[in-house]
Amino acid sequence: MIHRRAFMKSGAMALFATGFGGLPNFIASAASGQKILQPYKKNKVMVCIFQRGAMDGLMAVSPFADPNLKILRPGLYMSPLEKEGGLFNLDDHFGLHPAMASLQPFFAEKRMAIVHGVGSPNNTRSHFDAQDYMEAGTPFNKGTASGWLNRVAGLMGHDATPFRAVSLTNALPRSFYGDNEALAISNLQDFAIQMRNNPMAGKTVSQSFEDLYDQTSSSLLNKTGKESFDAMKMLNVNELKNYQPAKDVVYPQTALGNSLKQIAVLIKMQVGLELAFAESGGWDTHVNQGTTNGAFARNLKDFSDSIAAFWKDLSAYQDEVTVMTMTEFGRTAHQNGTGGTDHGRASCLFVLGNDVKGGQVYQNIKSLAKEDLEDRRDLPVSTDFRAVFSNVAQSHLKLQNSKGLFPDWNGKPLDLMRG
Amino acid sequence: MNPKKMLRIFTVGAGLTLLFAFTQAHQQGGNAKIKMPYKKAGLNTRQAAAHLLSRFSFGARPGEVDAVAAMGLEEWLEQQLEGGLTDNEANERLKSMNTLLLSNETIANTYLTPPQVLRLAVKNKLVVRDSVKGQDKPEYREQIRQLMVQQGLKPFVELQTQLINQKIIRAAYGTNQLHEVLTDFWFNHFNVSLTKPQCQQFILTFERDAIRPNVIGNFKDMLVATAKHPAMLEYLDNSSSVSDNNALAKNPRRIQQQQNLNKALEARMGDSSMKNNAIAQQLVNAKRVQGLNENYAREVMELHTLGVDGGYTQKDVTEVARALTGWAVKPLLDDGPGKRLLDKTNIDQMQKRGFVLENDFIFRADKHDEGEKLILGKTFDGKTGYQEGMDVLDLLSRQKATAKFISKKLATRFVSDKPSDALVQKMADRFLKTDGNIKEVLLTMVESVEFWQTDALREKIKSPFELVISAVRSTNADLKQPFQVFNWCSRMGQRFYYYQAPTGFPDKASFWINTGSLLNRMNFGLAFATGKIPGISVNLLALNQNHEPESAEAALTTYSQLLLPERNQEENIKRLTAMLADQSVADKIEAASAKHPGDATMDETDAMSMNKNLNKKQQQKNDRNAMNRKDKPFTMAYQNGNNNMVSQVAGVIIGSPEFQRK
Repeated sequence: MIHRRAFMKSGAMALFATGFGGLPNFIASAASGQKILQPYKKNKVMVCIFQRGAMDGLMAVSPFADPNLKILRPGLYMSPLEKEGGLFNLDDHFGLHPAMASLQPFFAEKRMAIVHGVGSPNNTRSHFDAQDYMEAGTPFNKGTASGWLNRVAGLMGHDATPFRAVSLTNALPRSFYGDNEALAISNLQDFAIQMRNNPMAGKTVSQSFEDLYDQTSSSLLNKTGKESFDAMKMLNVNELKNYQPAKDVVYPQTALGNSLKQIAVLIKMQVGLELAFAESGGWDTHVNQGTTNGAFARNLKDFSDSIAAFWKDLSAYQDEVTVMTMTEFGRTAHQNGTGGTDHGRASCLFVLGNDVKGGQVYQNIKSLAKEDLEDRRDLPVSTDFRAVFSNVAQSHLKLQNSKGLFPDWNGKPLDLMRG
Repeated sequence: MNPKKMLRIFTVGAGLTLLFAFTQAHQQGGNAKIKMPYKKAGLNTRQAAAHLLSRFSFGARPGEVDAVAAMGLEEWLEQQLEGGLTDNEANERLKSMNTLLLSNETIANTYLTPPQVLRLAVKNKLVVRDSVKGQDKPEYREQIRQLMVQQGLKPFVELQTQLINQKIIRAAYGTNQLHEVLTDFWFNHFNVSLTKPQCQQFILTFERDAIRPNVIGNFKDMLVATAKHPAMLEYLDNSSSVSDNNALAKNPRRIQQQQNLNKALEARMGDSSMKNNAIAQQLVNAKRVQGLNENYAREVMELHTLGVDGGYTQKDVTEVARALTGWAVKPLLDDGPGKRLLDKTNIDQMQKRGFVLENDFIFRADKHDEGEKLILGKTFDGKTGYQEGMDVLDLLSRQKATAKFISKKLATRFVSDKPSDALVQKMADRFLKTDGNIKEVLLTMVESVEFWQTDALREKIKSPFELVISAVRSTNADLKQPFQVFNWCSRMGQRFYYYQAPTGFPDKASFWINTGSLLNRMNFGLAFATGKIPGISVNLLALNQNHEPESAEAALTTYSQLLLPERNQEENIKRLTAMLADQSVADKIEAASAKHPGDATMDETDAMSMNKNLNKKQQQKNDRNAMNRKDKPFTMAYQNGNNNMVSQVAGVIIGSPEFQRK
């Protein structure tokens, strides 16, 4: 009995096993696979956040000590000296934007790393093209059918639950395109048979469907049907409704906050999540982007607070999770005529996790002097995004190999992860 | 005797000449009797009609299987290939859409995308302090709206909505179903995407002008039409693929101009005190387009013609890209520098210098690479300008690999996810023999026994769009808000017109079916049949001549036959009936409704009626009530002519595995 109780404590699977009898189909079928994945065991999870619109990396993490910056951006420059609203001085060269106050402690605790000067070798300044290339992971080939995260799923070397790869978006992002199963769901509560206002009829109908899919002669519909119902019971929508984040954790009431909250739920429910994807918008700051206040700062605060809330909410699960952010390119080194910045080249990204060799800004940036800029206007890409993505994915998710993860790329991965 | 009949009689008795007659007649517009070997595959006419409709239409409407069987499958297919049936219902529903006939030029100058709106706002000094979030502010939006109304401008989203709605309406109500199905197929083959801002304004005309007129015509015509269309030129960047390896660009005067431009650019670049940033930005943009872009060249071979294993090399990609340098979109923006320049230019002079203007396509001789190229073993001397690109496309369209790739893709769409090599080969042979006549290839397909064999029947899984449209068609549903269809398709994994990659949606069951999408398919069935989707109404009882089924079992039998003609549903009905009759479930529902009699919702009532109907006496009473809707609680079970038991049964059928198959 004690064993049973311990088992029940270990997560949502318990509900499943007691309430519905038997192991879910995908676990049973995993028994024949290479390596058995136990959904009620903690999984390593990589959470990717795509900042669509091209975040101004020079403002989020500002090379304030470079004298060129103030000249290039007289109206956007911030220094760490001011008492209030100044940059967090990271290493006497770079400063973290004050709107990132909630993430700053993680940098100080060496759990968050920053990679600066990161981007794609393809110099397109089109949002669409740059996002497409970054998500496909092949900066010079549009026809790549799969996305890089889908290929990560294929390299995990074990079977998966239906919740292995989940994107909190309406449609499947390019990163998840491909042969390995991935879910796009903007609201987890939709993961149920819905008879509005009528749970009883819902149950009858649900049972009807389960029965029909159980006997269909189409093996794909049969197998996926079983998995769908298993997954649905496993997720237990009723628990979702009543989800309480950890003590004192308040998620921003924003799209990103909401997405990350749902990712936290999936992690805590231990339903087999390994790859999660969320989006953050509003980074295309051509006009009046502001400094300590304004459009950019507000957006950055949402971004930062959402991640910080997520991280605190994970509490006991922090060891299993790494968060990595990405954006398609950076913005011009100089400010433009309307108080904003235009499309540029390199930006910066953040990696947060207990396995991260944090507290550093990883970078090969020369300077912001004209002769060091690309086309004499943009921060050049000195770190290929694939060097970061491959390092984080391979190290955190313990990929057996990374062959085929980034076809046509022979670069050296960065080394910002422990172990 | 009409010629058609004569030909038929002739062919019946004609032995060896028969084959010849077929080829001739097909090529002349298809008056020969098509010979579909479904009997050989063991199907009767009605079964064959159901199969044909499931593949060559978006689903049979009520009675359509019988109608096709009665008129003859061959006759029906002739008509569908012809595609000239009057289209009153669809046209009536399309009548209010005012963007469907517009030109690219009008669209580009009138239906502004969000970045264009922002530029307009900047130009008119309407931009508020917080540029990013500020755009959501009502006062800003109102100012912008007024400005746009004054200037006769409209937001792009209006056109985008009509683009989406017209596809839904044509698929659901169009009479020329095969043309619709093929338009869907070929659009996906030559995919362009609303996700790319540079091409989104041209997608409506792309489907209308490059795809739709060519769906059963010559493959090369469609290939060329897509290659020259602004949507494709922008989507795969050929518009910005340029070379200065030509006589015009080497002209000393021009070189001087270029140098001046570069100097101006140098001077302004990185200058933070720059006043006129927009000019510098334009210069930067101008500079940025210098160079070869291989995107289109690669995809035209990998995805549109030869296929990924089609035997071309990276060298071929580069050479094709070089051959297509200068293929671009004619300047369309009224206030753009390109248009002003073009308006001032003498077109005859331009043409003499090798420029070509055709609709919205421009061949820029000054951006074309005049060097020699070697493509798939064939040498192009580089002296023929525009014609060189045409010759390259012609070459690609005639390759064996292309014939096979296209045939396999068609067979995959219309026969099964894994069509036999023999079938593909037969189709590919016909493709080569007829210079890529798509109609001929399709006929070869339906004249093959593989199309009709049991391993093809019900083997394809409907895409979400096919699922929704087949539900609409099989129930005669009324789409007052067609856009709802789009929302549901998105939830089920097919946000059509938005697929980002040039591959288009993968046409295979495993792409469409996963745990999340499958639950959504079931939920769609329920929501659709129970009238929960706003703007979509279904009258299920009308389908059954307003006759109330006597029991859940009767409803299952009746509606299975109506919604899934020619499918064997006995087993499903038996299993479901047993479950619906489960007394413990009925009791629970009773108990639940007894507890909350006040908030008995529509759904609860329908669950009650569903189970109570199993009681014959109750059923009879129910039937009487149906005529006289005064008694309670069953009065609640009827609304808009729908019985909730029936709705629920129909919902289960639409969400069932059998309905997902075609």
